[in-house]
Amino acid sequence: MSTLNLSVIRKLVQISAFVFFVYGGLITGYYLEEKLSGALPALSCAYDFQGSDLCTLIPIQHQMDHRLGETIAKGGNLLMGVMPTLITLGTFLVLFVILNKAFCGWLCPLGTFQELLQMIGQKIGLQRQESLSKSLVAKVRPVKWFILVLLVFGFPLLTGMGMLNHDLGDPFCKICPSRILTTLATGSTEQLHVDTANVTTITLTLFADFLFGLMLALGLTLRQPFCRICPMLALHAVFRKMGLLRLIKNASPRCDRCGLCAKACPMDIHEIHTDMTSRNVTFEDCTLCGRCVEFCPDKDVLQLKYAFIPIFRADPHYFKKRKKAQTNWEKQSLLNWFGNKGSNSRAEPS
Amino acid sequence: MKPSKLAILVTALMLPPCGVVSADEKQNLKSKKPAVSHGHRGAKTFHIDHLDGATITYIRPDLSSQSITPLMGKVTIPVSGVDNYHALVVEKDWGDHKEVIIRYQYMFGRPSKQNPVKLTAAQKSEFEIVPDPLPREHYRYHSQQTWGFLARYQGELLSNHPLILTTSNGSQQTLYTDEHGRVTFEIPDDFPGLTEGERSKETAQLTISGEYQQNDMNHSTQLVADYRVNPSHWQSTELGLLVLGIGFLAGGYLGQNLKKRDKKA
Ligand code: SF4
Ligand code: SF4
Ligand code: SF4
Repeated sequence: MSTLNLSVIRKLVQISAFVFFVYGGLITGYYLEEKLSGALPALSCAYDFQGSDLCTLIPIQHQMDHRLGETIAKGGNLLMGVMPTLITLGTFLVLFVILNKAFCGWLCPLGTFQELLQMIGQKIGLQRQESLSKSLVAKVRPVKWFILVLLVFGFPLLTGMGMLNHDLGDPFCKICPSRILTTLATGSTEQLHVDTANVTTITLTLFADFLFGLMLALGLTLRQPFCRICPMLALHAVFRKMGLLRLIKNASPRCDRCGLCAKACPMDIHEIHTDMTSRNVTFEDCTLCGRCVEFCPDKDVLQLKYAFIPIFRADPHYFKKRKKAQTNWEKQSLLNWFGNKGSNSRAEPS
Repeated sequence: MKPSKLAILVTALMLPPCGVVSADEKQNLKSKKPAVSHGHRGAKTFHIDHLDGATITYIRPDLSSQSITPLMGKVTIPVSGVDNYHALVVEKDWGDHKEVIIRYQYMFGRPSKQNPVKLTAAQKSEFEIVPDPLPREHYRYHSQQTWGFLARYQGELLSNHPLILTTSNGSQQTLYTDEHGRVTFEIPDDFPGLTEGERSKETAQLTISGEYQQNDMNHSTQLVADYRVNPSHWQSTELGLLVLGIGFLAGGYLGQNLKKRDKKA
């Protein structure tokens, strides 16, 4: 079948996952106890009362603040203070080992929404930002680590220790676009606000709303703008070698460095093209979406493997069909439609 | 409706929860220095009038229960060790009149792994008003919000039954349950002296009460809970939208610039 390719399958999975994680609480239940894992390796938001699970970043922030931070401040038993975080990370890891970074490329509601934005951008004829330059990508990459270290672990810990004010107890949640997106998706505007309580809340909420607007606009022309600075991506990167699903590259003898894989990559991972030595090429920014494998024209050079079993391999025939499907897809935009209509009407004799 | 003889005055400090909470629940606005957040896992004390002869039961999330003996008009809920909602049930039999007051209290501790529905579904007294649902763990009732409640007698839902919402700020409202025994009240926005734009961490008490006559016995029940000022008094959605719009314009501008830079390159 010419239309059913990996990207189409992925879109179907992503849409189902979006519905499940944003509205699935209507089936799984409303209380936290009814949420599936409580430590999902994707931004399924705890503020969404209709959601079926919550991301791992919220318990970590609260445990840093109320457990570890308070334990340190009181001189208590550190092991007890850190235990809840170890349990959260343990749950995260059990899930993460199963799918690795595919939680981003296949399941995350915010990741899916950004892909949707990019599709809208393309359909309304806004030219897509193909790939970002290497230098810009290199500058942006450390941001997610800073956010992870400071906003997910650092500030909440210092808050628990009494060194920062309480509004900094969960600072990443306060700026997280998934909080605004998923609550808006359920018809609630509660999380889209400017909080005038004090300087900290004003700053955080102004930043959150600005970031959300920025993401909306950038998402129309640039692929996955928020993912590039997402702390969940950084947390994934720490454990990525443990995941069973991997992106594998057999560079020799067939890779002819055409660079099509890097061009197809929504995260602009140039190394996927230039690295000719690593076998496991699940780089820190990879979301295991599989697009690079789809657009690799050289047989078996790129592969998605589950443990040792190849589940999807680069193939020249697939590549040809996929490229054609992509060209057709990109041709169908409002701009082209109006252009064709215009040229048709000009061509028609009056 | 007869005036209640048992009165519950809850003076327990509603300590900050550790989960998903709005920051307004955690900070004293007047406190200039950041303070260490103190443990919120300790015992909680309630003052209750006319306690002589009353039975007090404390029910844990797994429905295990214990009797509590009041001390000088005070009831102290012991440290439970597990998190989630617990129920405090105070009952008094006056001969021709049975009175009950129920309060669902969120306690902190290790995960109870229990669903709060277990606690609300369990029969705690003959006639009771049950939150449907309870605010999700770590959340609270706030003014302006609409919440549902069920009226039950011996486990059976009571339809078309009058229930009264009163608040310690002086509001009162009577509504009738629907055919499913459910009523939805909007919690009044009745905190006096609020300044728009300024955060308030005030709490007040709401009571939902009802009466039920069975043979010669009159049953009266009260569900008591705390509620807080709705954050919309200091959170502006309009401003949020405006800032989102500014972000959108900035994103459009940035996107165009990136495109131009790319073309030049
Ligand atoms: S706000 Fe973001 S980080 Fe916080 S719970 Fe929601 S998705 Fe997770
Ligand atoms: S990197 Fe993107 S897809 Fe992954 S969790 Fe963050 S927002 Fe979701
Ligand atoms: S490297 Fe491949 S699998 Fe990873 S994000 Fe890029 S295109 Fe997707």
